[in-house]
Amino acid sequence: MLRSCMQAYENALKFAALWAVVSLAHGQANDPPATPSFTPTTASAPAPAESHWRLGAAFGYGQRSNPLIQSEDIPVLVDLDIAWFGRRWFFDNGDVGFTLSDGDRATTSLVARLNSDRVFFGKTNTRYVNLAYAGNGQTAGMVDASGEPVTEPVEVQPPDRDYAVELGVESLIDGNWGAITLRAFHDVSNTHEGYELGAYYSWRWIAGRVSLSPSVGFAYKSAALNDYYWGVHADEASPALPEYHPGDGFNLEGGLVANYHITRHLRFALSVNYERLSDEIAASPLAEEDHVFAYFSGLAWTF
Amino acid sequence: MRRLTRWSITCGLLVSLPVAAADVPAARLIVKPLLCVTESQSSVCSMTFDIRWESDVAAQFCLNDSAQGAPLQCWTSALSGRHRHERVVSEAFVYWLGLQGGVQHLAEVKIEVLRLDSSDRRRERRSRHVWDVL
Repeated sequence: MLRSCMQAYENALKFAALWAVVSLAHGQANDPPATPSFTPTTASAPAPAESHWRLGAAFGYGQRSNPLIQSEDIPVLVDLDIAWFGRRWFFDNGDVGFTLSDGDRATTSLVARLNSDRVFFGKTNTRYVNLAYAGNGQTAGMVDASGEPVTEPVEVQPPDRDYAVELGVESLIDGNWGAITLRAFHDVSNTHEGYELGAYYSWRWIAGRVSLSPSVGFAYKSAALNDYYWGVHADEASPALPEYHPGDGFNLEGGLVANYHITRHLRFALSVNYERLSDEIAASPLAEEDHVFAYFSGLAWTF
Repeated sequence: MRRLTRWSITCGLLVSLPVAAADVPAARLIVKPLLCVTESQSSVCSMTFDIRWESDVAAQFCLNDSAQGAPLQCWTSALSGRHRHERVVSEAFVYWLGLQGGVQHLAEVKIEVLRLDSSDRRRERRSRHVWDVL
């Protein structure tokens, strides 16, 4: 209930912000001048310039699973899209970028972002348990530091983790064969002091009003990054939560976004995404599941 | 009349609003489909449009395509009509119904083009914040 209230409050703030930005952008968007509704077009008419803004909102129902122990899945009822693209600078839903090069086939940018692992540690529950978390969703008998069995329930509170500000390079490459995204990010906030490399491939298929966009990719996460978020550090360890230090590993993911375009601005959207966590993360006592599954379906409006 | 109305409601189509003045016949125009969805700036849609119109007053009506100078079809003393039009669509245009030889649009329907790509490929990037599921 508290989580729902918090999300509703957060969404209300986002929605207010979106409307403020929409109002601001309205004056800058490339709306046609006040002319009669009928405007003859010719084959040689140039395509209108795009607005700097990309604003949208999707309303529906979805969920992102949470692999962290003693936590709840993350409901997704509203998905807001707030982005601004200038010649060099851009803002894209929290990411801030500066474009270094923009060619016929590739665009490379310097991007600052927040690490995505932190979101799983936002809402956790404290529990008293009498079994030890053993990773991969398994449990085992509790023992103390000397190896003696522990029979009394032990309080377990998943540890706090901070957001990390990461700075990196992102290249977007596309062609008739699809699109590739290459990313390399390093922590610049002295939070996890690790890095992440990622590569994703996607393509789009259109049939009538339906567009399908499958995607596959991987993210390599360094040992330092994995250890900060998914390790059980010495000062956090207990008989129920044994100390653990994961190494580096690859997360694999695949997804599909399907849209039925009702009008130029309104579409029905369906999205599913599956991310397989690396074995090093899945084996952590903090991980209850070895994957993250997200889905959403609803109506999406692009302003 | 009733069948045409039911057809338009069932298909969820845009029924154009009459734009005629008081001394010219009012007419309604129904077109399906209304949207061309395409990938890139250079792509086009090859579409077959089913166009229907009706009026309360019989007259010499002509169906026009805003991108063409000559009418697609004209009817003599008709209350309704139907036309199928095969066309390559690369940009938005208007089907409009008028009186023969006239330029006034008694009814019109706009066919729109939605291009999913962008000249700025940064718009295609997918951010990875938790709420972004699209």
